[in-house]
Amino acid sequence: MTVSLRKLSIATGIATVCGIGAFADPLPPDATYRPLPTQPLSTVRAADEAQKPEVMQRQRQVLEQRYDLTDRPMDGVMMSGGRKAVQGGVRVRLPQGTSWDSLTAMTPSEIRDKGLLPQGFLPLPHVKQATGGQVFPDVQIDQIRNQEARNLRRFDVDFDLHDRFTPEFPPPIFLTTHPELGDVSRGQLLTIRNYYEVMNGIITPVQMEGLRLLLTPFPQEEFNQTEDRKVPEQSLGVTCLDCHSNFHTNAAFHLTPDLRPQAVRFRLDTVSLRGLFNQQIHGSKRSLRSVEDFTEFEQRTAYFNGDHVSATRKGAHLPDRPNHVAMMAQMQNIVDFPPAPKLDPSGRLDPTKATEQELAGERVFLGKGRCAECHVPQTAFMDNNMHDLKLERFFEPGRSENGFVTIPDGPIKTFTLRGIKDSPPYLHDGRLLTLADTVEFFNLVLGLKLTAEEKQALVAYMLAL
Amino acid sequence: MRRVVMVAAVAALAAWPAAAQVGNPATTAPSTPMPGTGESAAQVNAQDELFVRLATIGGMAEVEVAQMAAKRADSEQVKAFARHLAEHHGQANQRLAGLAKGLGLTPPTALDAEHKAMRDQLEGADDAAFERAYVRGQIAAHQKLATLLEWELGSGQNDGLKRFAADNLPVVLDHLEQARALATQLTGQMARNDGPPAERKAPPPRR
Repeated sequence: MTVSLRKLSIATGIATVCGIGAFADPLPPDATYRPLPTQPLSTVRAADEAQKPEVMQRQRQVLEQRYDLTDRPMDGVMMSGGRKAVQGGVRVRLPQGTSWDSLTAMTPSEIRDKGLLPQGFLPLPHVKQATGGQVFPDVQIDQIRNQEARNLRRFDVDFDLHDRFTPEFPPPIFLTTHPELGDVSRGQLLTIRNYYEVMNGIITPVQMEGLRLLLTPFPQEEFNQTEDRKVPEQSLGVTCLDCHSNFHTNAAFHLTPDLRPQAVRFRLDTVSLRGLFNQQIHGSKRSLRSVEDFTEFEQRTAYFNGDHVSATRKGAHLPDRPNHVAMMAQMQNIVDFPPAPKLDPSGRLDPTKATEQELAGERVFLGKGRCAECHVPQTAFMDNNMHDLKLERFFEPGRSENGFVTIPDGPIKTFTLRGIKDSPPYLHDGRLLTLADTVEFFNLVLGLKLTAEEKQALVAYMLAL
Repeated sequence: MRRVVMVAAVAALAAWPAAAQVGNPATTAPSTPMPGTGESAAQVNAQDELFVRLATIGGMAEVEVAQMAAKRADSEQVKAFARHLAEHHGQANQRLAGLAKGLGLTPPTALDAEHKAMRDQLEGADDAAFERAYVRGQIAAHQKLATLLEWELGSGQNDGLKRFAADNLPVVLDHLEQARALATQLTGQMARNDGPPAERKAPPPRR
């Protein structure tokens, strides 16, 4: 009897312990996993199209509130292909009654308590946060339609930034293996239709096969053949270089794969692949240790959703590691930065070629500006580390903007500054439109108290990188 | 007759120092005779024949568009560049034609469809866009030409043609650098070279 009582109490105990999970009603079932669609495509499409004008209008308001979006190209400063002028001036709007100097005179907590952090310094929302996904600029959509008859235009959202704030298109391509040739793009966008003709004779068979794979469409979360897609017709998918046009970037954006729930996934601005050969960590958050890891894994999750389950349903592409992946990586690893004729071999300005202002900018960069603590000239202006700027010292987390909930960024990978004038918008989410914006951002965040001359010199210096 | 011409060519070429590398007989056409060195002044392989065809068409196109640019370009620098190219490629074309004749080859006498389209496109460009279009076109054309010359050096068999390629490669790369520098000037972008062409010495004559 004693024995059976003890048994009973143990059994009850187990039942109680097990019961906590079952009866506590934890977070909703779709907080991590993407639910299956329940509506037919035609219904979803009609609803998306009906919402689209308002969706775009809200995003326009977000941008207009944050930035001065006028056309103010810098005099005589073009991107490396000579096709687009570099925009100048600080574009982030100041809160009423403040100046850049008055803000830098305040402590972070004062700025936070008074709500005075310029809105443009906060993470930038996706056009439609609840859906997210890849959004391509019109120039890319048009080129791919013309060359491949493949549709990259979504029925629910459009690209939000004006062309003047995105990289030149198509971007030039520089190869580490052929510095003597300069830009080898012939002014064309590389696609599955022309890559062989453009690259024949200057790359190896291994690189050519890698390039073919990088230009081959595979199913993606919004571009696939199931009803869970955002293009009218069944889509072949997207390619790696649909975002990384000519191995650079066309400013196509997405949401980070690395966060849940959906509302806190921050926007990702496509990063350039130039100089990847010197980069030791990959992904703004994930710190993947090789481009092979990155290349393989993004195929597994239908590009940047952190969701292998949904990707598998839409048609998984599992590239073979020792063959496909290695070849894709070897192609990516020969893409060079654009020429920087004023830099010496260790990344320092050559005083016989640089202007006085550029040299002054370099001194600020290395000293008072503290830029070189992470953007080390000798290692291609990176440090292969992640850093947390702790921007949340200046704002209250939890604020919503166009469906996006702002939480602290946490550590983010240091990006290179080589060829930086070619890759607006800036920061991992594209929240800053010009180099002058980046100077004001870091001046405030790092408490640098730079003078107007020092700020201008820093911009002049970055244009020479 | 062909043999006589070949003998004459051998005699002419014999005075030149041997510089080109020996070709790889594994990839030559099966009918190609295989002498001890794998390379001969008189023999041509399929690659040599293709080289003559492509280099002739490329050279003709270069001269045609250069003459067009010498008239239509706005800046004196681009005009001077075009004149220099017309002269160099004119001379190179003559030399190549002589080599081809000596080898009994019949090079094309008209542009192919691709080069015709390129020329027509340039011809149709409006005046404001012409200069940039010409210089950009020259960057691509000289990249292709450099690759073609390098290919002949690796894959060709005929010593005279390989010598032609070896002599012209540095000149073509110099033209490419000049075109890139001009593009820099015209568009305001930065290039790898140290300065605009005006500050650089005139290219040394290379024959």
